[in-house]
Amino acid sequence: MADPPGGRPPTDRRCTVSALAIIVGVILPPVTFVLFVAAMLNRILTWRRAPKPGMTLFPTSPGGTVAGVVKETLFFPSLFRGDRFLWAMSWLFHAMLTLIFIGHLRVVADIPALWATLHIDPDVMSGVVGGAAGVTILVMIVLLIGRRFAVERVREISAPADYFALFLLMAIVLTGNAMRFLGPVDLAATHRYFASFATLQWPVVPENSWFLAHLFLGQMLLLYMPFSKIMHFGGVFFTQAAIKRS
Amino acid sequence: MDAMSQPRIEPEITQPPRPPERDTVLKAVDAIENGPAALLASMEICAKCGTCAEQCPIYYGAPDKTHNPAWRSDLIRSLYKRRKTLGGKLFGGLAGARDYSDGEIQEWVQRLYECTACRRCATFCPFGIDNSVITRKGRAIVNSLGLTPKRLLEVVNVSLATGNTDGCGREGFLDAVAFLEEEIEEECGVAVRIPVDVEGADYLYVPPSGDVLVNPEATMGVAKVFHKLGVSWTMSSRCFDGANYGLFTGDDVAMKAENRRYYEEIMRLGVKNLLCGECGHAYRVFKFMMEKGKWWGELPFNVTNVLPFTAKLIADGRITLDRSRNPEPVTYHDPCNFGRSCNIVDEPRRILRAACSDFRDMTPSGTQNWCCGGGGGLAAMDHIREFRMTVSGKKKMEQIRDTGAVFVATACANCKRQITQLMEYHQMDVRVGGVHDLVYTSIVM
Repeated sequence: MADPPGGRPPTDRRCTVSALAIIVGVILPPVTFVLFVAAMLNRILTWRRAPKPGMTLFPTSPGGTVAGVVKETLFFPSLFRGDRFLWAMSWLFHAMLTLIFIGHLRVVADIPALWATLHIDPDVMSGVVGGAAGVTILVMIVLLIGRRFAVERVREISAPADYFALFLLMAIVLTGNAMRFLGPVDLAATHRYFASFATLQWPVVPENSWFLAHLFLGQMLLLYMPFSKIMHFGGVFFTQAAIKRS
Repeated sequence: MDAMSQPRIEPEITQPPRPPERDTVLKAVDAIENGPAALLASMEICAKCGTCAEQCPIYYGAPDKTHNPAWRSDLIRSLYKRRKTLGGKLFGGLAGARDYSDGEIQEWVQRLYECTACRRCATFCPFGIDNSVITRKGRAIVNSLGLTPKRLLEVVNVSLATGNTDGCGREGFLDAVAFLEEEIEEECGVAVRIPVDVEGADYLYVPPSGDVLVNPEATMGVAKVFHKLGVSWTMSSRCFDGANYGLFTGDDVAMKAENRRYYEEIMRLGVKNLLCGECGHAYRVFKFMMEKGKWWGELPFNVTNVLPFTAKLIADGRITLDRSRNPEPVTYHDPCNFGRSCNIVDEPRRILRAACSDFRDMTPSGTQNWCCGGGGGLAAMDHIREFRMTVSGKKKMEQIRDTGAVFVATACANCKRQITQLMEYHQMDVRVGGVHDLVYTSIVM
């Protein structure tokens, strides 16, 4: 269709973008933060209050509870015994997730003293470790999705929510990797952006569409987490501690 | 008299009316939010990774969706999600939630009594989700609607009425004990006493009643151990069966009532130690619920078990076993309630290594051993025998076959029944008995 005479009616694209940026980058984050903390506390306090009778025990040696919880949280030994392939995928997935979480601290604030003490060039470190983690976790997510479709005993117990969690994570990782490999975000801008939340100033959202998409999806994950199976992130401590006692 | 002229008498209603199914189910599902913690967390955090299915004896025997532990647990979990979780309320089926359909309780009965509650899944689950806890919750709901399989209900009722699952009276028990004393004397030439109702004894021995009435060699073995040891012990003519089927049917009231009778008898006799016999679930109820769960407060007696008891006597040199008297290959089947649920794994093996010259372990063994296929009360249910022989017991049959043993020792009356039937069904020439059966034949008097 040809443009009407006189060209396109003027649309203020910049205005739409900044409206979106304000919703996702300024209004949503405090809401997400409050809801996330409140919902997490609610779940954890509920589990703490619930009785833990002897019927549900797997007795261990004295001190076995703490050791068991720590081991299960760090290395997944139960899963290792049961399914090596799934163990490899999920352990790598969670290890990368941890690395990525730590790496994100650098987006929030710079810590030059730490880099100096450790004799690390943060850009090299971030490029190598962060880049590898971002790619590895993507591969693991794809494998986990494939497994869920391909393995009968997993497919027959999967609900849409089980796929949704993986696709949401994939979208987050893809937008994150896009920022690393396609359109890097200005770290000075992100430092200013996060600092303004801490100092209760009006935040200026960094101008990067990947950043905005990533920020939005990440918040969706935080909001989804306390109400979904991803809550195993907090629940694992309770189930393992509730059942393994001397 | 003309019958027609008589005033009509309405037949008296003897059965209480059934509680409305839907309300009962949903009320019980809603109550999960009050715990226990292991049950509550498992409603919310299961990642649906499928690991449990790989470790389940039922799924191994017949990999059908309805045998998948996570699917079975979802019968209840999906209702809980619909009613108690935000995701389930907002998104329904997308979040794995669903509404209850009237009449589905019939399917529950079938599915929940296909789970042996062996807890093997829980030892492999990365989160330790215990599907047996969910199974038991479901069975409790089934029970409150009066739908518990008839055979198990009979066992619970007989046990509540008589104090033992065989419905054996005091006279019957005394006859059986007298017979065992004669047997021992005939076979060994030594007069070994089995004291009954002795107040203030050091030990009260409580086996499963089958170990007195059906396969008494284990009890005869224990009698010989006490004879050598020379400490005071007794059995009770009122309480000689630790079995407690309320654990299997999910009936907490029956379970505690049954246990109360034993507690009162122990208090009446004033014994120092309750020595549980070769019955895993009895020991689990006595040790982890009655004692550690403080059902009746702090107890003035110890709760111990005959497996660690005898193993320690052997280690301390207080009894001697002659392993050359049991030369044939022997293996040990870990009853789920002893292995996984009570962590009694090494003790029976120490006894068997001392009692037999060719002990062979199964693979895997201990807390990772497979269920016999008759756990959770299934062994007593004859109407599902074909299922137990071809599905739930398949892995156990293969494990036993692979050891090449001709004798399977195990410390559970239900495991013994199931494995005996398994060996018969699969035409394997393998005998089945208790750990103390081999103590009986090998102890040096």
